[in-house]
Amino acid sequence: MNTIKKYVFYCIINVRHAHSWKAHDVAMASVVKREKMASVSEMYDVGWEEMRDKLRKWREDNCRNSEQIVDVGEELISEHASKLGDDIWIIYEQVMIAALDCSRDDLALTCLQELRKQFPDSHRVKRLSGMRLEALERYDEANKHYDAILQDDPTNTAARKRKISILKAQGKGTEAIRELNEYLEQFVGDQEAWHELSELYINEHDYGKAAFCLEELMMTNPHNHLYCEQYAEVKYTQGGLENLELSRKYFAQALRLNNRNMRALFGLYMVSTSVRSMSQSVQQTG
Amino acid sequence: IKMASSFWKGVVGVGLFALAHAAFSAAQHRSYMRLTEKENETLPVDIVLQTLLSFVMTCYGIVHIAGEFKDMDASSELKNKTFDTLRNHPSFYLFNHRGRVLFRSPEEEPSSVRNQQALPNPIRLRKLEHLH
Repeated sequence: MNTIKKYVFYCIINVRHAHSWKAHDVAMASVVKREKMASVSEMYDVGWEEMRDKLRKWREDNCRNSEQIVDVGEELISEHASKLGDDIWIIYEQVMIAALDCSRDDLALTCLQELRKQFPDSHRVKRLSGMRLEALERYDEANKHYDAILQDDPTNTAARKRKISILKAQGKGTEAIRELNEYLEQFVGDQEAWHELSELYINEHDYGKAAFCLEELMMTNPHNHLYCEQYAEVKYTQGGLENLELSRKYFAQALRLNNRNMRALFGLYMVSTSVRSMSQSVQQTG
Repeated sequence: IKMASSFWKGVVGVGLFALAHAAFSAAQHRSYMRLTEKENETLPVDIVLQTLLSFVMTCYGIVHIAGEFKDMDASSELKNKTFDTLRNHPSFYLFNHRGRVLFRSPEEEPSSVRNQQALPNPIRLRKLEHLH
């Protein structure tokens, strides 16, 4: 009986002890969580080749899952650097950009320094150091960096695009649009820039010009159902009977290209009901 | 899959070797015909059979090594693409988003807590005042 009492007393003491440490535990837990999750390969049971292939897939698909990229990439760089060979440089670039997204400035700086050591005079590396300055919100220094690149090489598209991004980050939407228009006059085939311009116009609520940009994209990519669908959405937003008719046609086209596009299906339904109610009201008044 | 692909590579290798062997024997047969002046005799059946069989085997093996076939339809490879990835323009990435604060490491949390307490009248406290 005595031993049982002692045992119960011992448990109670421990529970009380645990309560008083609760706040501290919560703070520690996040640190411990980090240490426990340190090894991606252990958690998901994958080898270094699979991690490298995953990174390549994310790179090609333009995925922006920065937290995952940082976890996987950091482990690849720190533990399997020798096995990667020449792939490591592009992985450094990918991990650096993801690290800037995740506020891991230490990791970004290490990657940048490695790249600088290997490619001392490269414009691409200078652009990356400019991006790092942008992430730290030192926009004037970043601008000077890009101007230096452009003086060296006036046709460098990457530096011009970064300058436009700086304008966007500072909230100067109209200037960014003007610069991007000038850029597109010279480099007409840049699909990414056209899509970016359409997004900027949508932010400024200038749907007519956004539709024009999407038309350019649709012309060069006739088989891409997503551009059709986005164009139809912009036309629907513009409103007015003609635009709604056009929107319905393009939703239907998007569905023809890909019958699994749920958004286009829903859009088709919405537009059809709007057109019907609009034409009904026109009939009643006219 | 890796083991299977080395099997099919073996198949392709054997097929090519058999093809080369058949070609060599056909050449030998031709020179034999020329020596014995019987130029009207056709190639023996076994050489012809070996050529055809090794050709079929090589083709079959290559098809297995070549990887996944894609549909002829230009739009089909986009069927699984979504706006999540299409909207990302790597050359135009911005970094002044909430990820800069959200993903900050836990050691920096105390400073943000202090900032919160420094705010004059956080919204949730104002709501509670209304209730009273």
